[in-house]
Amino acid sequence: MVDLTANTPCAGLLPLSHGELSLKERNYGAVWSVAPFNGASRDVSAALKKAIGAGLPGDGRLLAGKSGEVFWTGQGQYFVRALKLPKLPAALSDQSDAWACVGLEGGGAIDVLARLCPLNLRSMDEGDVARSLIGHMQAIIIMRSDGIDLMVFRSMAATLVHELERVMRSVTAQRAL
Amino acid sequence: MRINCPLCGERDRREFYYLGAADYLDRPSEGASEAMHRYLHIRKNPTQLTKDLWQHEAGCAAWLVIERNVTTHEILSVALANETAK
Amino acid sequence: MGYNALRILKEGLTGNSGWKPIWRSPQPKSEYDMIIVGGGGHGLSTAYYLAKNHGITNVAVLEKGHIGSGNIGRNTTIVRANYFLPGNSEFYSHSLKLWEGLEQELNYNVMMSQRGVIMLCHSDGQRDAFARRGNAMINQGDDAELWSPEKVRAEIPYLDFDNTRFPIYGGLMHGRGGSARHDAVAWGYARGADRLGVDLIENCEVTGIDVVGGVVKGVHTSRGVIRAKKVGIVTAGRSSQVAAMAGIEVPIESHVLQAFVSEGLKPAIDHVISYGMGHFYISQSNKGGLVFGGDLDFYASYAQRGNLPMMEHVMEAGMTLMPAIGKAKVLRSWGGIMDMTPDGSFVIDRTAVDGLYMDCGWCYGGFKAVPASGWCMAHLMAEDRPHEVAKRHTFERFETGEGLMDEEGTGSQHNLH
Repeated sequence: MVDLTANTPCAGLLPLSHGELSLKERNYGAVWSVAPFNGASRDVSAALKKAIGAGLPGDGRLLAGKSGEVFWTGQGQYFVRALKLPKLPAALSDQSDAWACVGLEGGGAIDVLARLCPLNLRSMDEGDVARSLIGHMQAIIIMRSDGIDLMVFRSMAATLVHELERVMRSVTAQRAL
Repeated sequence: MRINCPLCGERDRREFYYLGAADYLDRPSEGASEAMHRYLHIRKNPTQLTKDLWQHEAGCAAWLVIERNVTTHEILSVALANETAK
Repeated sequence: MGYNALRILKEGLTGNSGWKPIWRSPQPKSEYDMIIVGGGGHGLSTAYYLAKNHGITNVAVLEKGHIGSGNIGRNTTIVRANYFLPGNSEFYSHSLKLWEGLEQELNYNVMMSQRGVIMLCHSDGQRDAFARRGNAMINQGDDAELWSPEKVRAEIPYLDFDNTRFPIYGGLMHGRGGSARHDAVAWGYARGADRLGVDLIENCEVTGIDVVGGVVKGVHTSRGVIRAKKVGIVTAGRSSQVAAMAGIEVPIESHVLQAFVSEGLKPAIDHVISYGMGHFYISQSNKGGLVFGGDLDFYASYAQRGNLPMMEHVMEAGMTLMPAIGKAKVLRSWGGIMDMTPDGSFVIDRTAVDGLYMDCGWCYGGFKAVPASGWCMAHLMAEDRPHEVAKRHTFERFETGEGLMDEEGTGSQHNLH
């Protein structure tokens, strides 16, 4: 068998920067989708809390634990970043490597997304999570202390980088005027 | 038009998919062909207040029952379909 | 009253004070043989052909606003017969033939311009489907020509042929298709019907329909009660409301369809270009404005104005197809209310009420149907049996599932058309 090289979704595309703005790939590692069965949210939350130190967050929120984090990704659905999951009364799927995850940092990051995303990011705080659009792409948007993380389907990595890069360039140019 | 999703808050219309009249929540039993025809095709099609089904497709993916005015674009109420449906 | 160059010159020099209305403004009588509810393109052509083809002239057309103030007054004026399915195929073929003789028929300049309608294809599969559609059109007796990418490039060089997502693989040219002047069609039919004795009654809103023992007796209007043996509802856009006056429910959901016109430009676009993959079509009016549109706004609406995301989508599609139009400025846009049926095809049929007929469900394509719609509706009302080319367009097809005409092949369900 040929020796296959593992590539990250944005390999060869990132990092890049314009002015104060930078765009880096984030390595989210192992990611699980967890959709608790009807009425099982409390049990799922307790089991996760015990295993990784964070239970299920509220709608549109992220909770960090000792050995992983849990964030809301839709109605009755959460993503868990952890190497191993405990046994859970939930529908599970392995989402590792299925998403292109990038971090947009620096002054003007919100101005960049204002041109691509119909959310009012200024009203969002650290630990807030939203499902919305970046251009025409479905995305998960996570507000972190060091910037904004964006996740889109892996196959759309190049489009995401292209869209963001174009706007980063133009926002930087505008801020220099 | 902006829709206040019960889970995500107020969002732009482009994040939502429209299915049709909330009649779709009352599916008749199998074999009732006249009822099935009415369920699938016949619509009240009002000019003012209507109740219809939308999905927050580019957001939380929840199905919503929305009451709105089809002449003014005013949204009167938004509820989660899984809590409305019997 | 004739129109000629000398007359225009004379009127121009005398302050245009000599022009007279081209149809009467009669008081409604208390009774007619037949009433047509709706004074738009379809209602006027129905009245015209009732008088012309069937000799029924004791007819009133009741219009709640002024003649031609609905969708016939604002649309993208495309005339074509490039349908695929039996039912639509023969109907639109008949309509196009009527269009070709309409100016002589009405002695009125409807500015019929057979500049050709081209549908672009963007994959091998789509090209095969278009070849098949072209054969169906030729079998129907209409014209179709499959254009190679080279031919399209030679005739329409300003398109983006090498677009990454939708490269142009050719197109299906329908040379007899084109456009016509929408207002003139309404005015021509109005004048023609009026001259044959039909009463066109404007500012007369129908507020109720009298049904006794399952038989229609007449209508209540803002100008009094008018009795009639037969009533035709030709009010696409408001079909559900008028039908409800007679206790009838119809398989229609109303949607907004937007269209746009740019500032006037020098002649640039010679044909009607349809870019199905982008839900976009464009032509250039005789005044020079680029006339273009897209898809429905996709939610039930009577708002008569569109939503911004669809405007953005239409502009993006236009820019994708022909980047040069990015330089043009949009002058105006509007949204018209469409009667959407589950299968995307229209209905000309009797109803459960004796003597009450409906012509409705024109979806996005009512304009090109104006002559044949009136022709077939008049036939149905006069003879009480459907015309040969419209006999498949029943309400019953939705109930039985038999003979559905789903041109797009997406399924017969409200939200799919």
